[in-house]
Amino acid sequence: MSSCHYSMIRVFQCEDTLTGILTGVYDAWDSRLGHENVRLQSGDQENLELFCEYEEVEPDLVKAEKVLGTVRTRLGEEACEMIAYASAYPHAGKADAIYRMIVVGLHLPDGRMVSGMLTHPDVRLVFELRRKTWHMAHRYMGFVRFRELKNGVLFSEIEAEADVLALIAPHFADRLMMEDWAIYDRRRRKAAVHPAGKGWVILEDAKEAFSRLEESEEEPYFDRLWKIFHRALGIASRANPGLQMSFLPRKFRPFMNEFADSKTT
Amino acid sequence: MEYRVEQRMDLTQKLEILADAAKYDVACTSSGVERNRSGKGIGNCITPGICHSFSADGRCISLLKILFTNECIFDCRYCINRRSNDVPRASFTPQEVCDLTIGFYRRNYIEGLFLSSGILESPDHTMDLLYQTLYQLRHACHFQGYIHVKAIPGADPELIARTGYLADRMSVNLELPTAEGLKALAPQKQRPKLLAPIHQVKQMRIQNKNELALYRHAPKFVPAGQSTQMIIGATGENDWQILKVAEHMYKKYDLKRVFYSAFLRVNEDSLLPVLPGGPPLLREHRLYQADWLLRYYGFETDELLSEEKPDFNLLLDPKCDWALRHLDRFPVEVMQADYHTLLRVPGIGYRSAGRIVKARRLGTLDYGNLKKMGVVLKRAVYFITCGGKQMYPVKLTEDDILRNILDGKEKLPPGAGKEPAYEQLSLFDDPRFSV
Repeated sequence: MSSCHYSMIRVFQCEDTLTGILTGVYDAWDSRLGHENVRLQSGDQENLELFCEYEEVEPDLVKAEKVLGTVRTRLGEEACEMIAYASAYPHAGKADAIYRMIVVGLHLPDGRMVSGMLTHPDVRLVFELRRKTWHMAHRYMGFVRFRELKNGVLFSEIEAEADVLALIAPHFADRLMMEDWAIYDRRRRKAAVHPAGKGWVILEDAKEAFSRLEESEEEPYFDRLWKIFHRALGIASRANPGLQMSFLPRKFRPFMNEFADSKTT
Repeated sequence: MEYRVEQRMDLTQKLEILADAAKYDVACTSSGVERNRSGKGIGNCITPGICHSFSADGRCISLLKILFTNECIFDCRYCINRRSNDVPRASFTPQEVCDLTIGFYRRNYIEGLFLSSGILESPDHTMDLLYQTLYQLRHACHFQGYIHVKAIPGADPELIARTGYLADRMSVNLELPTAEGLKALAPQKQRPKLLAPIHQVKQMRIQNKNELALYRHAPKFVPAGQSTQMIIGATGENDWQILKVAEHMYKKYDLKRVFYSAFLRVNEDSLLPVLPGGPPLLREHRLYQADWLLRYYGFETDELLSEEKPDFNLLLDPKCDWALRHLDRFPVEVMQADYHTLLRVPGIGYRSAGRIVKARRLGTLDYGNLKKMGVVLKRAVYFITCGGKQMYPVKLTEDDILRNILDGKEKLPPGAGKEPAYEQLSLFDDPRFSV
């Protein structure tokens, strides 16, 4: 961009999903405006900036698949995973960082080196977001609590900052293969649903489906056993609520039955 | 006078007693084995393990940690379940353990089972009960989750071998670091007897590895390896002796983990020490830090401690302590130093060392990058240069670094160690520059 005449920056506004962001990458590249004249943005735009023109990106599975295919072959599986995980974390700059990372990667002689290129600020951001998402997903693998319903379905609720549902569902599908289970994300109003012996699916706008739930007769019994076990395991002379809090912050606790009765332990 | 009448206990009471009795066991890890679904049944394992909750003392709860029974015939002085203690006693049946495990596992409360036990009647009888429980869990309930089981010293090797094919991890507690300590506090246990099952499991794991190389689907024997545990501070060992034992266990017996457990005085016994500051938690912490240095950072016990300096400086973590005593090796240049040299820098862990090595191939690092990569600059800044420059000028003397590096966050007991000597600053005559 030269200093004597300014050019407009085209901002591609994409949906806050992996498909949305990858479609944005496709469209931004396809616009042929030059990488410095385009910007990607995910989610809702609140403040409009000067010298920008905005373009809505309609999520398109075909375009997204194409981008993902290129990333996989040219930048490798590692970069692919980085992008997929990073796109699940709420961060204003993630879509643009993903775009820049792909641009950098495609200009390297060996694109697979891009995943280790932590001196580049955009790659580093994607790397950080991937790590954060993975940590959160990993925590939810442990902190999800299922309740058994009257019809034998195992049901659980979460309220995750990152969109971890699709990241933890394969784990539970493998673990509880012969069970019917569902995990409902209250924040996004969608659910991962797994019928016994079959594959899992994501159900959008699932609030209605999980409104009236009755627990099975066995449920209070196991609930009590678990609470007893949890309490018995703490050693009083080593009590360390600060340590407990740092490993298991308050935001997870409303959904865990062992913390249902008291606020602190 | 009140008599306790023998009653049939329900599962709730049993769980309360036997979980409470198991809480002093440290290991609750579920890591080290990857297993996908088997086609039927329930459960899988992932290599990093998963923590499912944290107890009030901040320890992770990953496994259903219970004793099979606390009706123990032994009389170890440090143990809450010693024969001569008047505590409520209970025993599970294999079926009850299976029901609990599956019930908890389905609700995602736990990652698997940690089954330990007191010695009921005889070691053989106890081991057989543990074996039956595991057999039922694996073959009747088709449970594929994580199982950590204790090998009972003195039990028939055949029973231990069979149990090992059902479990993911086995452990035998060394209890106390030295044979003399064991003799004093647990006269019914002998060191060679404790080491026998550890040796057996190690041999069988080597054998199993060869079998697996030939036949991919051969049954796996203790795939997540062995661990053990020592009580710290009950007998008079120093840190050097303890770490030597741990190093020996890692090298000779190929153990995955050695756990350290700060001594808690649960029994009134004249042979047990009274520790005025409560359990030696900070000492335990330092030992764990040193343990990591042995396993991941290529340190040897004799580098960290010696007969002349047998205990850790409680004020500093062992790596900083080592670095301060070897200032001649620092500062290292981040852009050039090899991986193993980077590992020895305080503030650089094995993950950030790996990242540095990978990232500097593609670009120049600066301090901002290093911070983002996870290097703890607060500590590392005294020991590194980046692009030939220090982050800011620092005096590279032991006293100055020590004064600046002391971590304000760590809760130190009063009189924990030697504070660095303060001295009056003088504008004109620095005593070190006297002509």
